[in-house]
Amino acid sequence: MISNIRIHLQGIKTALASRMAYRGDFFMSIIIMLFEEMLIPLITILVYHNGASLPGWGIYEVLLIQSIFLLARGIAFPFFFGIVWNTIERVREGVFDLLLIKPKSVLFLAIVTGFDSEDLGKLVGGITLFTLAVSRIPTPGVLEWVQFAVLFFIALLVLFGFALILAGLGIVWIGNFRVYEIFFTVTNFGMYPASLFSKGLQTLITLIIPIAILGYIPATVLLGRPAAGTLGAVAASIAFFSLSIWFWYWMQKKYTSAGG
Amino acid sequence: MLITVEKLSKIFKSYERGNTFGEAFKSLFIRKPIYINALKEISFSIQSGELVGFLGPNGAGKSTTLKILTGILYPSSGKVDIMGYTPWKHRKKYVAKIGAVFGQKSQLLWDIPPIDAFYLNKAIYSISEREFKKTMNDLVELLNVEDLIRKPTRLLSLGERMKCEFIMAMLHKPEIVFLDEPTIGLDVIAKDRIRKFILEMNREGVTFILTTHDLGDVEHLARRVIVVNHGEIVFDNSINTLRNHLGVKKIIAVSTQRPLPDLALPGINITNQISDYKLELELDLSVLELNKFIALVNKSSTINDLSVQEPPIENVIKELYEFK
Repeated sequence: MISNIRIHLQGIKTALASRMAYRGDFFMSIIIMLFEEMLIPLITILVYHNGASLPGWGIYEVLLIQSIFLLARGIAFPFFFGIVWNTIERVREGVFDLLLIKPKSVLFLAIVTGFDSEDLGKLVGGITLFTLAVSRIPTPGVLEWVQFAVLFFIALLVLFGFALILAGLGIVWIGNFRVYEIFFTVTNFGMYPASLFSKGLQTLITLIIPIAILGYIPATVLLGRPAAGTLGAVAASIAFFSLSIWFWYWMQKKYTSAGG
Repeated sequence: MLITVEKLSKIFKSYERGNTFGEAFKSLFIRKPIYINALKEISFSIQSGELVGFLGPNGAGKSTTLKILTGILYPSSGKVDIMGYTPWKHRKKYVAKIGAVFGQKSQLLWDIPPIDAFYLNKAIYSISEREFKKTMNDLVELLNVEDLIRKPTRLLSLGERMKCEFIMAMLHKPEIVFLDEPTIGLDVIAKDRIRKFILEMNREGVTFILTTHDLGDVEHLARRVIVVNHGEIVFDNSINTLRNHLGVKKIIAVSTQRPLPDLALPGINITNQISDYKLELELDLSVLELNKFIALVNKSSTINDLSVQEPPIENVIKELYEFK
């Protein structure tokens, strides 16, 4: 365990050193990423300031959902979602092999070498918006915070599951960065209150592909009115994560390497 | 035996795509599978401390073999035992004891100095600080790269980078090192330095398995050669046996004081008639002995100058590569 933490820290240090070799680009990327992530919350603010609203939801309640979603992505993207681009690029260039000749789990090494410092902008955006939204809602109690922590951890597991599926696809679907578009299109439903959607869609994003847990469900516990189907979403998330792990290892077995 | 390979086969599944727009469009919906037998039940074994050259034309199966032996690929069938491990089953434990250098795949990190990549390997292989520094300093000194390991990798020449790749592969003191075209693109001086390093490490007991298209690497390094073609082993013996594979032949250049006699004799193959006094030929010693050839020419024409060389190994390799 300590050895793995040491490797992870060394990987982060190496990735940061690598990225900071081009200082201007490094800072610009972080700032651009920050603005890109804040776009939807800014639109939400604009909508509410112009008199429109999402029925039954106040501006800071919606911003809370969006901030939790951004916070989860802000942790996922720099720290483990990099396995997606790392795997796709390595498989395309034939250097995925280099992970297989190291005495550690390929998944772990794909995470370590896929640390993405640019995405720290997402984390900064998520923390800022979350702090703002939480300060404008009734103060949650200790129990709500504990429930939130558990659900937020599960949200991270779901994001990790998505990363594993997309990276696994990258092993057989060579060089296809379109997988990111699939991810963004599917998960953007998580930025809005699920209660706004039709019953069918609610069931889909809660119990089948548990996107609602990325923002909506953890937000409802902080707001003191837990969403219906929370336990079902937790079970679906664990099943989704287990399935994604199995999928990753299945795809890894299918790896054929590039020509030599 | 350090390495035992028995009846190793690998079949790749691919899809026929066609070359016309119509065929390409059709392949979006209906794909015809193609099965490629990259390896056909090959068997061999390697002892500890050997330095084996693994040769073959493009697509012969040598890289596939290497990838199976390094735990990168699963075979379709067959057995591999290396130091008691099956590479694809015990990958993590096994790869801790091997090293690999790929001439066309860098383990260094482009924008940062090699020493940072060395530190990442130190963490991955759990090498103690003391051991790491000692091994790194020894290797750095041996390869004479003291001033280079702190420069960004992108500023290093290909030869300098390759030296650092070797350090990266040797830091954890592997017992076996797999080399895939380690001198590709290097100048003669860099090649020489790398070859000397490999020989030095081999003298210290490291087993090397080398795949290359550079026959200079084979001649300078390998004592044993395995040639693979069409997924099968077509030759497995010493480098000297390989040289004599097409018969015991010598390349002879001769110049004389008087016009040369008619040399259209069994065992003599004239390759270049430069003048009536000077020519180059290939002499098959199993048909005509060298001293008899010299006596024959000297008697009629008096030899001025004569050189005897080994035939180029390319000829033998070409013959083996053309084997169907």
